[in-house]
Amino acid sequence: MAKKIMVVDDDPDIVEYLVSIFKEKGYETCSAEGGEGAMEMLERERPDLLTLDLEMPEEWGPRFYRKFSQKPEFKDLPVIVISGLAGIHLAIRKAVATVSKPFEPAQVLEIVEKTIGKP
Amino acid sequence: MCMDVLLVDDEAGIRKVVGITLADMGHKVHLAANGDEALEVFRRERPPVVLTDIRMPGMDGLELLRRIKEESPDTEVILVTGHGDMDVAVQGLKLDACDFISKPAGPEVLEIALKRAADKIAMRSRMRHYTENLEELVRQQSEKLVGLERQSAAKEAVEGLTQAMGGLAGEVAGEFAMFNALPCLVSIQDRDQRVISVNRLYRERLGDRVGQPGFAIYAGAAGEGLDSPVARTLRTGQGQKSREGLFGPEESLTAVTVHTAPIHSANGQVDLVLEILVEASEVQRLQDELRTTRQRYQQLFDEAPCFITVQDRHLRIQAANRRFRQEFGPATGGLCYQAYCGNDRPCFGCPTLKTFEDGQPHQSELTVRGKDGQTVNVVVWTAPIRNALGEIEGVMEMATDITELARMQDHLASLGMLIASLSHGIKGLLTALDGGVYKVNAGFRTGNQEMVQSGWEKVTGLIGRIKGMVLDILFYAKKRELQLRSMDARDLASQVAEAVVPKAEQLGVVLNIEIDANLGVFSVDEVVLSAALVNILENAVDACLEDKSKPEHTVSFRARPDASGVFFEIEDNGIGMQPDTLARLFSVFFSTKGSRGTGLGLFIAKKAVDQHGGRIGAVSEPGQGSTFRIWVPREQ
Repeated sequence: MAKKIMVVDDDPDIVEYLVSIFKEKGYETCSAEGGEGAMEMLERERPDLLTLDLEMPEEWGPRFYRKFSQKPEFKDLPVIVISGLAGIHLAIRKAVATVSKPFEPAQVLEIVEKTIGKP
Repeated sequence: MCMDVLLVDDEAGIRKVVGITLADMGHKVHLAANGDEALEVFRRERPPVVLTDIRMPGMDGLELLRRIKEESPDTEVILVTGHGDMDVAVQGLKLDACDFISKPAGPEVLEIALKRAADKIAMRSRMRHYTENLEELVRQQSEKLVGLERQSAAKEAVEGLTQAMGGLAGEVAGEFAMFNALPCLVSIQDRDQRVISVNRLYRERLGDRVGQPGFAIYAGAAGEGLDSPVARTLRTGQGQKSREGLFGPEESLTAVTVHTAPIHSANGQVDLVLEILVEASEVQRLQDELRTTRQRYQQLFDEAPCFITVQDRHLRIQAANRRFRQEFGPATGGLCYQAYCGNDRPCFGCPTLKTFEDGQPHQSELTVRGKDGQTVNVVVWTAPIRNALGEIEGVMEMATDITELARMQDHLASLGMLIASLSHGIKGLLTALDGGVYKVNAGFRTGNQEMVQSGWEKVTGLIGRIKGMVLDILFYAKKRELQLRSMDARDLASQVAEAVVPKAEQLGVVLNIEIDANLGVFSVDEVVLSAALVNILENAVDACLEDKSKPEHTVSFRARPDASGVFFEIEDNGIGMQPDTLARLFSVFFSTKGSRGTGLGLFIAKKAVDQHGGRIGAVSEPGQGSTFRIWVPREQ
């Protein structure tokens, strides 16, 4: 069964973009634009990796991270921060990598492969 | 020693002998044969010494003695008798006879008796002289004393008067100390026009002229002494007022107004004259100066670029400057916190109350509300106003309007935010653009025409957004001068509506356009104003998309004329806004669209309307929709 990547970003265009990159490479995906649905999806889908946009309205990104990382089952879930700003990744210390927008798809895929291996 | 002597004897022989003897001694001798004759001669000649026989027919010597002493107590009378008759002698001495000699009176006896009389006369004369001297001395001293008394009384009067005038002037002039030195030269002169006392200013200006003629200071006829103001007062007994020339330094002449007032003594005659000199030009100059100074203070008070009030302990406004009255209404007598904030109690941390407490100046920053409800940011400085006793009587409060400054601070902060916010927004857009391009490429790669189509639509949309954002930034970053052009408001309204029609159609929102046929002409920057209106219209369409609760959505765009401008209304039945959203609607970088919005749209729209001198406002009901109203004047 292919490894699953969950994409969280409030911009649907970017969600679509990331999803298509990962899909083309052979990963399974799921996505959320934030809100309560993201937590539900996380628990239901149990992804192997999460890409998270931190700059969503009302600081939703960091709060979402704190919430799920406190749960034992998601404690070790690798997170790639995809952010428009440098420095913001400090909010999430355990992030495996921080990728700035606009990003190179190859770079993101490389990090993903390094972290969770090929699909 | 040589005296007039009256010799009285009834015997002619004796008269002759004794008469010769006395004449030999150098005396001038008058003779009388009886008492009546003797009195007659005495009254005529007034001799200092009378030598008389006691026993004479008719009036005897004692009777003569008594009558002479009655008429002239100082005349010395020597009695001469034929034989020792002690009784008569005692009687004679009782009647204040000078001496008593026996017949025949030889030259030695006569000489002694006459010398004794002469001594007595001399002593009496000296005594009299001493007595009279003493009286004169007492009189002189008393006169001097009276003079001194009068002088000191006069001096007191002058000082009292000067003080009174100073006090009066002080009252008139308020706090202006220069009036305390009222330019009055005051003197008091006596009946001879001699100066008795002068005030300080007189002494400084004209010298200490006490004792000198008071009129000598005048030029012309008044300086002669006959026609001086004081002379006229003495002559008429009435106070005088006249204009005189006064000799100043270096032969200069100064015009003075002279007032005089008679001071009557107890017997009703003019004893002293009070003379007051006022320099006409000096008074004028001081009045002018006072007026200018006051004007300057008033001007400063009114024109100072801040709101100034003077308040009492209860924060009641005692005085307010013009700018305060303009901005907050005529609040004199009202309470500070009511006028400034419409509050029922003093503001928290009121600096004026602090100053009343500790007498120190205080400062604070407050947001107050102007007459028309506009918020005004002010920095308040306070300073105590103390009375003569040093007690704090009031506090002056100066509030400087820093609304503009606060706005600029906001603007600077906004620029900082701009960098953060826009870089994020642009990066997001570029990433999404990459996504679109990726999709197009993937479509080409796999021959999926549908994917190419959808990717290309995405790219086109994103490029539109990037373009809009770049234009917004340019508008925000650079102050654009309005390029006003007179145009038909109907044309502009139609253009705006047409610009939004495709978007509304595409998204299935009904666009209801109601443009009045007689909108008239107005003078606007077409590009700026239509961009603002399009922005609001597009927002309205977006608000409809957000709302999933209604089956159909309508956006109405209405334009109608009023007397002085054109009124636009944009109404939607979209998602509506919460009150806090409504409150922040026009502030910079506020967006409800997350990374999709720049937070610049409505901010710029408001700026555009403001620049045109118009008004913009919005009402909204969550879940029901929003209405934006814009009014633009025909002429700026």
